[in-house]
Amino acid sequence: MMKILSALIAFCLAVPAFSAPLELASEVFVERVQKRADGSTATVLEAPKLVVPGDQLVFVVRYKNASAQPASKLSVTNPIPRAVAFSGTADGTEIVSVDGGKNWGTLAQLKVPKADGAFRQALPSDVTHVKWNLNQTLAAGSAGKLVFRGVVR
Amino acid sequence: MLRTSSLHYRLQAACPCFATLSVCAFAIGAIAHTPAWAAGTLAGTNIENIATASFDTGSGTVDIQSNTSVILVDELLDVTVASTDPGDVTTTPGATGVSLTYRVTNNGNGPESFRLTANVANSGDDFDPVFGQIVIDTNNNGVYDAGVDTVYVAGTNDPLLQPDQSVNVFVLTNIPSTQTNGDRAGVSLLASAGTGTGAPGTTFAGAGEGGGDAVVGTTGADGDANGFIRVDAASVVLAKSATILDPFGGSNAVPGSIITYTLVATVGGTGTLNNLVINDPLPAGTSYVAGSLTLQAASLTDAADTDAGNFNGTRVSVTLGNVPSGETRTVTFQTRIQ
Repeated sequence: MMKILSALIAFCLAVPAFSAPLELASEVFVERVQKRADGSTATVLEAPKLVVPGDQLVFVVRYKNASAQPASKLSVTNPIPRAVAFSGTADGTEIVSVDGGKNWGTLAQLKVPKADGAFRQALPSDVTHVKWNLNQTLAAGSAGKLVFRGVVR
Repeated sequence: MLRTSSLHYRLQAACPCFATLSVCAFAIGAIAHTPAWAAGTLAGTNIENIATASFDTGSGTVDIQSNTSVILVDELLDVTVASTDPGDVTTTPGATGVSLTYRVTNNGNGPESFRLTANVANSGDDFDPVFGQIVIDTNNNGVYDAGVDTVYVAGTNDPLLQPDQSVNVFVLTNIPSTQTNGDRAGVSLLASAGTGTGAPGTTFAGAGEGGGDAVVGTTGADGDANGFIRVDAASVVLAKSATILDPFGGSNAVPGSIITYTLVATVGGTGTLNNLVINDPLPAGTSYVAGSLTLQAASLTDAADTDAGNFNGTRVSVTLGNVPSGETRTVTFQTRIQ
């Protein structure tokens, strides 16, 4: 724990004060199917007041360049909580890891070891981390959001 | 109850270290429990999400973290009941303490106690047995053990089941003596979540394990199953016939004639007649022909030993054991007219 603590202090000290050029915010919503009076259904996003296993979650990561400088090489990483089975992103431009962030690739490129030593194709539920490498420069004041979905295990 | 933190994380001079530190502590806690439940993530688990980003504004790469968004997993109330008897439980008119076996399983994601109710008055069957009691299989051997397993008292010892855990429950009933062969009765056991039941989606605010809400799952938070009792008055008909062989090759009953008796036991009705024994005393004026006893055409010794039959000087006895209905057993022996 002390190691982590000192590492964090070092990290904090390394960042100059008042230099928060990028804002990053994480939000979670629950996706619900609501029945309309006429019998049709609508999918709505709700604040997660009530969440049980099997519920569909939508994770939204918002970023904004709050500085006066353009930001480049923006990369956003989101570890998938253990109680959530990843089910995909909105744009499909992500790369993922199925081994805790050691190896990265598109889901189709990744394999998972089986008990007998052989490998099988990775499934969305195997994903441990999702990452977006945004190759464009983020102009001062501009913002965007990244969205992925998961199911409560 | 909104459980998502809406604070945007900003790197400011005012002590971001503590904020970051608490974030790390959460992350370590989250790794520690791996959900391995069929019932899903345990109620009361916090799902915590943090995003990290790196970027470059010309003065080197900078790493930042988002706020932690937290969702508390609420308790799902689900239960199933299954009848675990392999088929109809057979009984006889007037029998008491007839036991039907059920398994109650907590399919929810939190520990829950369940209220049990038995119903003997079901439609679509031939009669209603008289309810005796509900018994919990305390020693978990799947068999009702009188005096060992605990009698259930509603509200007093409602079984508390962990997620995915099951308990065997017996319903004991008495059979009216007026029932006849083939009568069938359904007995159902209902288990209801102690927190509450209702249409799927019904919510009990703050009643969930771990401080969240409790919500009724697809089972309606209750379940029931039917077990069946069948009255099985198996009966036996014993037919006795005799043939006579006189010393001269004829069939006259004269001193020295050999009488061959044939006893045919036919089990009727349904089910099985247990521990069937045939005893036949020797008629007066005859003597037993040593070694003449047979069962299903196979010889039996006269001694009381491991085989099924014996002759003790006054009667023959053959133990037939458990005979299913529709089967017959044939016993023969011989006597000599004195």
